Amino acid sequence: MLDEKINNIKVSFESEIEKVKNSKQLEDARIKYLSRNGLIANLFEELKTVPKEDKPLFGKELNSLRASVTDKFNSIKEKIESDSASVESEIDLTLPGIPVQIGRKHLLTQTLDEIRSIFKGMGFSVSEGPEIESDYNNFEALNFPHDHPARDMQDTFFLSKDFLLRTHTSPVQIRVMENHQPPVRVIMPGRCYRNEAISSRSFCMFHQVEGLYVDTDVTFCELKGTLVGFAKQFYGENLKYRFRPSFFPFTEPSAEMDITCFLCGGKGCRVCKMSGWLEILGCGMVDPNVFKYVDYDPEKYTGYAFGMGIERIGLLKYNIPDIRIYFENDLRFLMQF
Amino acid sequence: MKISLNWLKDYIDLSGIAVSEIADKLTMSGLEVEDIVNQNEIYKDFIVGYVKEKKKHPNADKLSLCTVSTGIEEYQVICGAPNVDAEQKVVFAPIGTIIPKGNFKIGKAKIRGVESFGMICSEAELELSEDHSGIMVLTNDVKEGTPITEALNLNDVIFEIGITPNRPDALSHIGVARDLAAIFNLELKSPSIELKEEAEDIGKYAAVEIIDKINCPRYTSKVVTGVTIKDSPEWLKTRLKNIGLRPINNVVDVSNYVMYETGQPLHAFDLNNLNGNKIVVRSTAKETNFVTLDSKDRKLPAETLMICDAEKDVAVAGVMGGENSEVSNDTKNILIESAYFNPSSIRKTSKLIGLSTEASYRFERGIDPNNTDFSAKRAAKLISELSGGRVAKGIIDVYPEKIERREVRIRFARIIKILGFEISKDTILDVLKKLGVKIIFESEEELHVSVPTFRPDIEREIDLIEEIARINGYDNIPTQNKISITLDEKVDEAGPIDRIRDISISLGFFEIIDNPLQSEKLSLLTGIPIKILNPQSLDMAFLRTSLITGGLETISRNIKVGEKNLSLFEIGHVFNKKTDNEIKSFDDFSEENKIIFLITGLASKKGWNHPEIEVNFYDFKGKLKEFEYNFLLDNVLNDSYYHSGDRIFDYKYVKSYKNTVIGSGGKIKKEILKLFDIEQDVLCFEFNIDLLKQIPAKIKAFTEPNKFPKVFRDFAFIFDKKVKYSDVRVFIKEKGSEILKSVEIFDLFESERLGEDKKSMAFSLEYYSNDRTLTEEEVEKDFTNLISQIEKKFDARLRGN
Repeated sequence: MLDEKINNIKVSFESEIEKVKNSKQLEDARIKYLSRNGLIANLFEELKTVPKEDKPLFGKELNSLRASVTDKFNSIKEKIESDSASVESEIDLTLPGIPVQIGRKHLLTQTLDEIRSIFKGMGFSVSEGPEIESDYNNFEALNFPHDHPARDMQDTFFLSKDFLLRTHTSPVQIRVMENHQPPVRVIMPGRCYRNEAISSRSFCMFHQVEGLYVDTDVTFCELKGTLVGFAKQFYGENLKYRFRPSFFPFTEPSAEMDITCFLCGGKGCRVCKMSGWLEILGCGMVDPNVFKYVDYDPEKYTGYAFGMGIERIGLLKYNIPDIRIYFENDLRFLMQF
Repeated sequence: MKISLNWLKDYIDLSGIAVSEIADKLTMSGLEVEDIVNQNEIYKDFIVGYVKEKKKHPNADKLSLCTVSTGIEEYQVICGAPNVDAEQKVVFAPIGTIIPKGNFKIGKAKIRGVESFGMICSEAELELSEDHSGIMVLTNDVKEGTPITEALNLNDVIFEIGITPNRPDALSHIGVARDLAAIFNLELKSPSIELKEEAEDIGKYAAVEIIDKINCPRYTSKVVTGVTIKDSPEWLKTRLKNIGLRPINNVVDVSNYVMYETGQPLHAFDLNNLNGNKIVVRSTAKETNFVTLDSKDRKLPAETLMICDAEKDVAVAGVMGGENSEVSNDTKNILIESAYFNPSSIRKTSKLIGLSTEASYRFERGIDPNNTDFSAKRAAKLISELSGGRVAKGIIDVYPEKIERREVRIRFARIIKILGFEISKDTILDVLKKLGVKIIFESEEELHVSVPTFRPDIEREIDLIEEIARINGYDNIPTQNKISITLDEKVDEAGPIDRIRDISISLGFFEIIDNPLQSEKLSLLTGIPIKILNPQSLDMAFLRTSLITGGLETISRNIKVGEKNLSLFEIGHVFNKKTDNEIKSFDDFSEENKIIFLITGLASKKGWNHPEIEVNFYDFKGKLKEFEYNFLLDNVLNDSYYHSGDRIFDYKYVKSYKNTVIGSGGKIKKEILKLFDIEQDVLCFEFNIDLLKQIPAKIKAFTEPNKFPKVFRDFAFIFDKKVKYSDVRVFIKEKGSEILKSVEIFDLFESERLGEDKKSMAFSLEYYSNDRTLTEEEVEKDFTNLISQIEKKFDARLRGN
């Protein structure tokens, strides 16, 4: 008896559920079959009246009926709900989203950030210094004597006899060493000024990152290793490089580091002046005279220093034709990076 | 500095070494080759042409139609030069030739309907001189068809070398050859100074006296009589032209030639114009006027080292000769000066009178004091050979105190400590020998050496270490592939600025970087500016006193290119004078790090589902508040407002911490904006970052979020128009009980219905407790209490529901 009823419900449910097209019909079906007073619930009531020995069998069948009806019901329900959602909201998804404005860091800041993070990873601290400097910090303590032609290397804006706009970030080296005993491992980013004719390649101000490491056992080998490590992280693992002798009053031996021109790959082009090489930084071992100025024992300590221009990197890397573009702050430029 | 390869070959045998290798080795030893001009390459396609016939172009008045013969073929060529004529020998560029000036390739051209098969060149087009007045006309003895590399001796390679200030020894061809000899292990040959001297002793013609022995340690002279001033021979002209000099006459050319050969600046005086046939070297006692040979009347300060005759000044020592004694076409007898002057004295003079010459450039860097006699003899030899003059016997050489070779000690252990690897003793000795350094004493630990006087830069052990590293090659220094990191505390002073910048961009601001150098007019607007003593222009003669002016300039530039809706920020230093005096210490001025926010135009453009929104004070204020919260993590700054009394702002908004102003801004006055041609409203706010950084940020600690339900109540009152929002809000917060957690204004309006001087403000109140569910009664009690308090306090009327 019960057996038959179970089968009838099963058949009628399956035929009815196939005809359900909307949520109203769906709800009707739910009430008819699955509600507290529905057909299936009624059969469970009836189960109480069957002989004891038949209960397990019918119980099992009833449970299986309820499970299969519920499953079927739910899958139809899902289908109807998603259908009705897509029918109800025929919105034009191709309309643009509402614009959200987030600003950008200036390209120079982005470049500086990248450089800073590489050196921080190599155990460098970061220090800053003022842009108005004393002649002493900017020149004298860096072994540029008064009346020496080396001073011609850096055309200077003077504010008084003894004060000027710093021509490089190197005076921060003096400030750091005057306030700390070795080991000192620090980079010093900042703005500098040069009294040079303004052109597409030079501006009256620019940005540098200076580096300094002083300890009892710092060597030229380590200088090379550190800077090569930096250049590989910044410019790419496969880069070729060379160090060639140069001159800076505050380092000796001094060098300039070149990397293979990344525009022509070393074949020679307009950007690298046909040499295949691009100069990326100046460096060298700290001159013992500088240590004397900051009261470090030059017999005990050795150190290296380096400095690189930031504007130049962007000119080369992003093919920016004119350095002045950085400082015109045209929104259309700022939004590109 | 330009160095000619042909010229170098006089002193060193470079045969079999490629030009590129020479350039590379020079660069890698510290004489950076910045450019190479290979004439054989550049001029390979140019040939001598013969203008067989010249006719007028049928369709153009100023053009000529020429038939150019190269001996083998004839070409129809159109030429625009006024001086082209039949029967001339010219430089002809056939089709396919690349013209040096402008770097373009000659192709077949049709000019006004007539075809042209090549080009007749000017000196400027060949980059042989600046002359582009007409085509270059050659002498008639050259044969057509000859390559011009041969006909004009254009077969040299010119290296442009950047010489660093420490290497005065390399400011000459012999100097560069000396480095090449060391690099390639070659022998260095000296030029000849073999002279035919006449019987008459030099003492009969001239005498030299040095009064200022400090600034003129040595003065050497040779005398050549009976010279004929004329053009130099072609070989000499070519050499000078190839390194960028203009030939003048045989005597002047020789003195230039010898300077570029040995590095010793020379000067030739017309001996007949030297009163008393005498040279006196002394410093001026007072300011004097003097006409240099460039015909400029110059004011010379006291203590300028001068060359004088018995009566008058004849040259500014080491810088430039005088017009009164220069070699002219009538000069017969000359005195050659070859001296060594104190470098800092020459530099001082050159700086003070604003005149830098090839001579002063070398003297101030330091020439070899022990080479003056050699160079004088060399010049005398060449002058007599080229001018037919006779060299007087002997030499005048006043050198009271000989400058000796400097002695330096170098320790092998120190080389390793600096460079980080060992160079064998043999290599070290070899390098030093090649550089002319002599070993005085040698032990297992160290060397005592003497350094040649042409290397004034080598004074210390470290200088020698650099020389050894340089000649041994920086490439041979191992690149260490790991570093050790010390574990001391790491500091990032730029860290707080990073956070400021990150917050700013998240609020929609774009970062700008402005030039801090500006005009006096702009810098005076916002402070007491510092003047630059040697500015490039009046537009950049002062330092900015705030970030406002630079920001407005940026806005103005952007509006001009059509970018009118701007949210910008800049972080940078601003500078103000603290006293009227000259800057003598860091206390005389302030340098502060600031950030400015600027907004103008639309905050949001009209979109398909939202209206256009213009930037307004409240929008800006909200962003500033968000900035403040994000940076300080707490509401610790006090706001205050001013409606008048400011030069820059219509209304001013000030933020302070414990009575110190941290930042200020507001809406910029129209008359200020007018200075920048800005017609739309601009709001800005400038924070002092140095002060902002000092404010202790709220300590981060966990607070459990409230678990109990919140109760909301709203009310609206009609107030007198003068009543300020913030007064009402503060009052509600103060009078509300502990369960009142937040008060927000959600509506504000004025209308005729309310009355002329009235406004309505509606507030939303949020009640909750962290430890229990509130009862209706306690909220209602507080709420009704507030209503009556507000009505009483502000004479306000609760708006009915």
